[in-house]
Amino acid sequence: MNKGRVLAVFITAATVALIAIGTLWPGKTALQYSGGKNLLRTSSTPQAAVENLGDEIRLRAWGAAYSSLGNKAEFSQSDFVHDLTGYYLSLRTYATLESFEVRPLHASSDQAEVRLRMHWSSVVGPFTTTRDLQVVKNGDRWNVDWPLVRKTVVPPQVIPENYLRWDVIYRGPGDDWGVQDVEAPHVRIVDMHPVQRAEGVVVLGELLNEDVVPAYVSVRATLQSKSGSPISTEGSFDKISHILLPKQVTPFFVNFPNATLSDVGSIRMEPLSGLVSASAGPVIVIENQQLNPAPGATVTGQLVNQSGQVVNIAHILETLYDKTGQVVWVADQYTDHALLPLTPIPFDIHIPEDLARKVSSERTIVETYSVGGVH
Amino acid sequence: MERIESVAPSSRPLPISLILMAALAVHLPLMLIRLPLNSYDANFHIFFASHYLHHWFNPWNTKWYAGFSQTTYPPLPQQWVALVSHIMGLDMAYMAVQLAAILLLVVGVYRFSLLWVSPRAASFAALATVFLGSESFLVYSAGQLATTSAAPIYLNALPYLFDWIRRGSWRAFLKASVLFTAAAAAHHATLLFGSFFFAVPVLALVLLDRQGGERTSVPAFVFRTVTIVLLVGAAIAVVLLPFWIALIHYPVTQAPIPHPSRANYILSPIWGLNYFIAPYGAMILALPFIVLRGSMTVRLRPLLLGFWVAFLVGLGGTTPVGQLLLGRAFEVLTMERFTYWATLLALPFVGLLVSELIDRFRMRAVIPLALAAAFTCAFAVAWVTIRQAEGASVKVDSVAAWLNRDRHDQYRYITLGFGDKISRLAVLTDAGSVDGEWNSGRRLPELTSNGAGSLSSSKYFGQAGLDALRAMLRHADKYGLKWVIVRDPYYDPLLKFAGWRPVDMLENNTITIWSKDGVPPAVPLNAPQMPPRWQGILWGTLPFGSSILAILVVLIPGRKQEEGRGDPAFASQEDLEPGRLVS
Repeated sequence: MNKGRVLAVFITAATVALIAIGTLWPGKTALQYSGGKNLLRTSSTPQAAVENLGDEIRLRAWGAAYSSLGNKAEFSQSDFVHDLTGYYLSLRTYATLESFEVRPLHASSDQAEVRLRMHWSSVVGPFTTTRDLQVVKNGDRWNVDWPLVRKTVVPPQVIPENYLRWDVIYRGPGDDWGVQDVEAPHVRIVDMHPVQRAEGVVVLGELLNEDVVPAYVSVRATLQSKSGSPISTEGSFDKISHILLPKQVTPFFVNFPNATLSDVGSIRMEPLSGLVSASAGPVIVIENQQLNPAPGATVTGQLVNQSGQVVNIAHILETLYDKTGQVVWVADQYTDHALLPLTPIPFDIHIPEDLARKVSSERTIVETYSVGGVH
Repeated sequence: MERIESVAPSSRPLPISLILMAALAVHLPLMLIRLPLNSYDANFHIFFASHYLHHWFNPWNTKWYAGFSQTTYPPLPQQWVALVSHIMGLDMAYMAVQLAAILLLVVGVYRFSLLWVSPRAASFAALATVFLGSESFLVYSAGQLATTSAAPIYLNALPYLFDWIRRGSWRAFLKASVLFTAAAAAHHATLLFGSFFFAVPVLALVLLDRQGGERTSVPAFVFRTVTIVLLVGAAIAVVLLPFWIALIHYPVTQAPIPHPSRANYILSPIWGLNYFIAPYGAMILALPFIVLRGSMTVRLRPLLLGFWVAFLVGLGGTTPVGQLLLGRAFEVLTMERFTYWATLLALPFVGLLVSELIDRFRMRAVIPLALAAAFTCAFAVAWVTIRQAEGASVKVDSVAAWLNRDRHDQYRYITLGFGDKISRLAVLTDAGSVDGEWNSGRRLPELTSNGAGSLSSSKYFGQAGLDALRAMLRHADKYGLKWVIVRDPYYDPLLKFAGWRPVDMLENNTITIWSKDGVPPAVPLNAPQMPPRWQGILWGTLPFGSSILAILVVLIPGRKQEEGRGDPAFASQEDLEPGRLVS
């Protein structure tokens, strides 16, 4: 064979080999775009079957995911998709599966139980869901039996709404609440203290609306050095209830990553308030609330939407107090399910282990978001 | 009636003027309807040009990232757009510069192909350029003005490089040096990678070339190569000095941003369609010919190897080659430009194939070839409509008008769900943003530490994108960020829970403007990246000056030998190694 032919054969063979390598053992970026899928993995083990299902969910390849299920005859593809993304618009609807973990729980020759922990990213932050899956052997393949949670149906009924509502006539679009021709509502910080944590300094406290009108509130904190020069300024962002009804109290939590408390001489607090339209609805009540001690300290309970409208996302702010009534910590959680009228939704908020022993009481407030309800 | 048809194969090349007319016939109407404005990056280049239009000697642009330096991106095509816009406005100036680049590419491919194949085959290669899928893809879908401007200048420089190294012509030395410098002023990456994919094969060709007498002696080869490398290197160092200063002082260390051109095109077929089928088109059918003829013909082997490496890198994550050759740069560069270069390197082979097919089969070859060319071009042009960019249909005029009135522009803004229209908005509004589309120019830590692209498309970058958005909203006070302009209700819950409120609606209530109270007006950031005045003067003078000099120098008449390069037996059958099957 002459040199030219050798070169042609070499180039062709090398190209095919390189494409095969890149496809059978894809690099990190290629895997990211293929949803973690490569051609080598088949559903030949329970773990591989669940991993393949996880990849398909991540790619939103619903058809392929549904087809791979062992119990698909029991429900439709639409049911399966809605079970994952929410039957009503909620945090799950727009969440994307960022990663997942698979842990075998137990296995026999033709059946296994595998735990699938799914880490979702959403616009308000990441959240995790867990499903324990039965995996059954079918010939030389394993299929997942999906534990479908069926849609909750609210029975027909009439729910009277009689909550308070305040409307404000604005001067024009784009007006600052703080520059209107009316005095800003009176708000006051009733508790504030800094805490050193591994990730930095946290300023905790509570803010009270002393006025008789609702207020938009926000808290800005500036750490100052011992010489009085500013170190860093941060705001409460979403770790506060921004709309306060008259006489209502909200916790706030201002985080200063990488700061050290020993460097701080003083803290300048700037509570901001403005007049705002607001209503007391939708009314969300908390039932069966319980403080579970360490280890694994949590606050658990159920949210019940007592109004007739669907609440798409709820934000639970938990203020934890010590025996003297001082704020020890502020924890929060977003619900990943929509709150249907009169339908309890459980919550489970983690408390840091080192603080759990100091906690003797708690107070919960809930902020809500409903589609079309923000304008 | 008997039909008479000549069977004698023609050896005459197509006139270059005819090919240029074909290029005008295909691309001028598309430019006149401003089709490139729908591409991903066209508005980005127009935004840069609009800054040069108003601040030619001040590259510090305050409209993005609370201030960034345009010295982080070579300026030549954008400065030409700015200059021509005095006559026809920014949009049409962009079209004019892009069209000029397309015409220049036709000439560049013809001249480059002449190094490898016969004038007739080279003319067919130039004609194929008109219909080249990757060119249409980059012009109408990707909007890569810099890449598509630099490549033709570079290709036009290569024959002069050959003449200098092969024959020691000082005229060729001067022309090559000036053109290489102008190409770098248009796009530095083209020069850097072009040196490997294009220039190294040309140097190898010099060593193989026996025409017109003896081979070039090794000392002469080394001397001439070193001389031109040193001179061009020094010229580029001076012409782009502010760029190098910015790069050395502030290297791109931000977290890598995912790009689908790095996907595996088999595991992710949609990206294969986007980055392989659309740019290559019917050229895929010519791949076996390219490998066979390139291997069998000794003279064509360097070109084949250049093509092969560019082809493999252009496949992104389909092979491990890109990652192995580029290292960390693989996570920074986008791969479609390698595909573009691969197709340019393939064009001499395509010209050869077309020439042989037409000589042998006449009209029976012409019709399918014409159809294949038309299909390739049409598919690549249509691709921008088939697979539209996010925000392609967004109208930003009303948003710009809103920002420009009632002193709204004293605060900064970001958009969410506007895709690449943020560049368009930035051209039209006086307000500044903390977002932008030039990732290598940004320095705000909220943006650089998360591995996501523009905030406007945060959700497409998963957790990293949303983390960047939250970090920026968290620091709204610091940057005077008061307005968030939302076209995608996906982001509403975050804004609501973070204390923003809707204050106005535009475009039939499809766009909501959210505001945060208590935000102080934006103040200029005292960024260390701000170039001093002398750098601004250099930036406004040397890159553009290099292109003027290139035009003047190229007009110096060359000697017959330089222009015609004798009467070579380009890639003819005598060059074939024994044993080849001649088709």
